[in-house]
Amino acid sequence: MQTSARDRGLAVLGSVVRPVVYIGLSLPAILIVLASFTAGDNLRFPPEGFSLRWYSAAIASEPFMSALWTSTKLACIATACSLAIGLAAATAMDRYTFLGREAFRTLTLSPLIVPMVVLGLGLLQFFAWSGLNQTFYGLLIGHVLITLPYVVRTLTAGFILFDKTLEQAAMNLRAHPVTVLRRVTLPLLAPALISAAVFAFVTSFGNITLSVFLGFSGETTLPVQIFTYVEHNYDPILAAVSTLVILVTLIIIAILERLIGMEKLA
Amino acid sequence: MIHPTTTVHPSGTVHDSGVLAHENLPAVVALSGLHKAYENFVAVQDFSLEVKKGELLCLLGPSGCGKTTTLRMIAGFITPTSGSIRIADEDVSQLPPYRRDTGMVFQSYALFPHMTVAQNVAFGLANIGMSSARQRARVGEMLDLVELSHLAKRYPRELSGGQQQRVALARALALQPAVLLLDEPFSNLDAQLRVRLRQELRKLIDQVKITTLFVTHDQEEALMLADRIVVMQQGKIEQIGTPREIYEQPATRFVADFIGWCAILDGAVRNGVFVSHGGLHIPVQAGDQDRASLVLRPEHLHPSASGAAPERALQGVIETADYYGSMTRIGVRVGDELVLAEAGLEHGMHFEIGSTVTLSLAPHGGTVIPGGQA
Repeated sequence: MQTSARDRGLAVLGSVVRPVVYIGLSLPAILIVLASFTAGDNLRFPPEGFSLRWYSAAIASEPFMSALWTSTKLACIATACSLAIGLAAATAMDRYTFLGREAFRTLTLSPLIVPMVVLGLGLLQFFAWSGLNQTFYGLLIGHVLITLPYVVRTLTAGFILFDKTLEQAAMNLRAHPVTVLRRVTLPLLAPALISAAVFAFVTSFGNITLSVFLGFSGETTLPVQIFTYVEHNYDPILAAVSTLVILVTLIIIAILERLIGMEKLA
Repeated sequence: MIHPTTTVHPSGTVHDSGVLAHENLPAVVALSGLHKAYENFVAVQDFSLEVKKGELLCLLGPSGCGKTTTLRMIAGFITPTSGSIRIADEDVSQLPPYRRDTGMVFQSYALFPHMTVAQNVAFGLANIGMSSARQRARVGEMLDLVELSHLAKRYPRELSGGQQQRVALARALALQPAVLLLDEPFSNLDAQLRVRLRQELRKLIDQVKITTLFVTHDQEEALMLADRIVVMQQGKIEQIGTPREIYEQPATRFVADFIGWCAILDGAVRNGVFVSHGGLHIPVQAGDQDRASLVLRPEHLHPSASGAAPERALQGVIETADYYGSMTRIGVRVGDELVLAEAGLEHGMHFEIGSTVTLSLAPHGGTVIPGGQA
C-alpha cells in the first residue's frame, strides 16, 4: 500500500529527527555539567579527571555568590511586580471593554517586539533624565518591563480557559466577591499564575542585555558577572556556577510541577 | 396578545398536578414591569409575572426570546433597565447575587472542578456561616436526597452528565432557597436520559416542595414538567397558562405554531363555520369574525380510506408522509390548504404520496384564534 509506505518513511524520519533535536537542545547543558567536574585548570571537554574543586571555588568566590544573590533577589521581586501588574492588566482586558483595549494589549506585549538593545538604550536615557540611573529600582523597572509580556500572555490564555459561570455559581451560593476570588477564581487560575511566574523568573534571571545597560554600581547580576569574567578568564569555575544555576532551576521547576500537578488533582 | 398581568383562567379543566391549588397562594417571585434594553435590541420588555409558592413555572420560547435574560435578572447577574424584582416579599432589584435567596442550576451545571462532590455541596453552607458539623450533616442529607452519597469524594469530571446535574441540584437546594432557578438543565444530556431525568427532577421538586422557575426551549419538557407555562417571544409574554391551556387553547398564532404540530388556516367565521381563504368549510364553536385563524392539530383529523359524512370530513391528496415508527405524519392538500394528520398502524393503510385520503374531523375540531392573516 502506498500510504503505509509513506507513513513508514515519515515514521523512520521522525525517529531520526527527534533524537537529533533532543540532543541538540540538551547537549550544551550536558557538556557544561560534565566539564564542571574537571580536576584540571582548563574548561574543556572531555574533562581531565574528576573533582569538586571548582564547586568549592565557585561557592567561595564572593563576586559570583553576590551576583547570584542579586540575580535571585531581582528576579523574585520583578516576578512579583510583574504578576501583580500583569494580573490586573489581563483581568481588565478579559472582562471589560474599554476604549483602546487592543492598543493596550499590543502595548503590554511590545517589550517582546522592541529589540532589547533599543529598549535598554531608551530606558538608560529615561532613567538618566529621571534620576533612576544606576539604581536597583531602575534595573527592577527594566526587568518588570521585559517579563510583563510573558505574564500577560500566559494569564490571558488562562482567562480564556476559565469558565466565568463558576464565579456566578459561587455568587449564587452566597459567596461574597472576596470569597469567590479566594476559593474559586485564584485556585482555578493557579496553573496559569504559576506558569506565568516561571516564565517571568526565568526571563529576568537569564537576562543580560538589559542588565548590562541598567547595571548599577557595586552589584552585578549573575549573567553579567559570567559575561565579564569570560572576557579575561576561561576556567572551570564558570561551568560550576552554571551547573549550580541549572540545579536551582531544575529544583524550582520540580517543585512547581508538583504543585500544579497537585492542583490538578485537587 | 394577552396582557402579561392578566392570568388566563383555567376553563374548568384540572391539570394533573393540581395547579388550581396554587391560585390563592402567596407569590414567591414577583416581577413587575421588568425591562432590559441593550444598545441595539430589547431583550425583555414590560415583563410582569408572579411565581406562586410551591409552583413549578416554566419560561418557554425560542432562543433569543429573553427567557434566560429574565432568569439571570432574577438571580442578579443582569441588571434590569427598569422594573422591580421581589423575592419572598423583599425588593431585591438592587441587591447583588450573593444577597438574593435563589438557588440556580446552570445549563453547564458550573460545578467547581477543584472540589469534590461533597465540597461542592458544602460551598454555599460555609458562606452562610454554618458550623462544619452541621455542614457535614446537611451535605449528607442532600447527597442522600439525590442518591449520590457513594460519590461524595469524587470530582465532578469523574461523574456522568446526569450525576453532575444532581450534584448541581443538591448544591443549590442545600441552602433551602426561596426559589430554585433552572436554566435549560437538560440541554446537555442525550434524548433518552433527558426523559428519565425529567421525571426524576419532577419527583425531587415535589419531594422538597420548592418553588421553581425553569427555562427551556423544549416544549415537550415544558408540557411534561410545568404547572404553568409562560410562552415568550421577542422579550414579551405571549401566553400564560397550564400546559393543557397552552396546547389546547393557544391564545396567539405564535403559541399555536410553537407548541406541538399544527396547521394554521386563515379565514373568517360565519354562522359557526370557519371559511378559509383556501375554500375549506369547517364547523367551529365560535362567534362570527371577519378575520380569524383556525388551529388544526393532527389529532383533530382522523384519516381513513373510506368516505365519511361529507360535512365533517375533508378529502385531499397526500403531499408528504413522514414515518415516525409509532405513526406516520401526513401532509394532506385539501383544496388550497395543507393540513397535518397522523396515521397510526391500526388504520392498516399505506399512505403513499399522491393517493387520496379522507380526513374525518373530531367533534371539537380546531381552535379559533381571532385576527388571522388576510
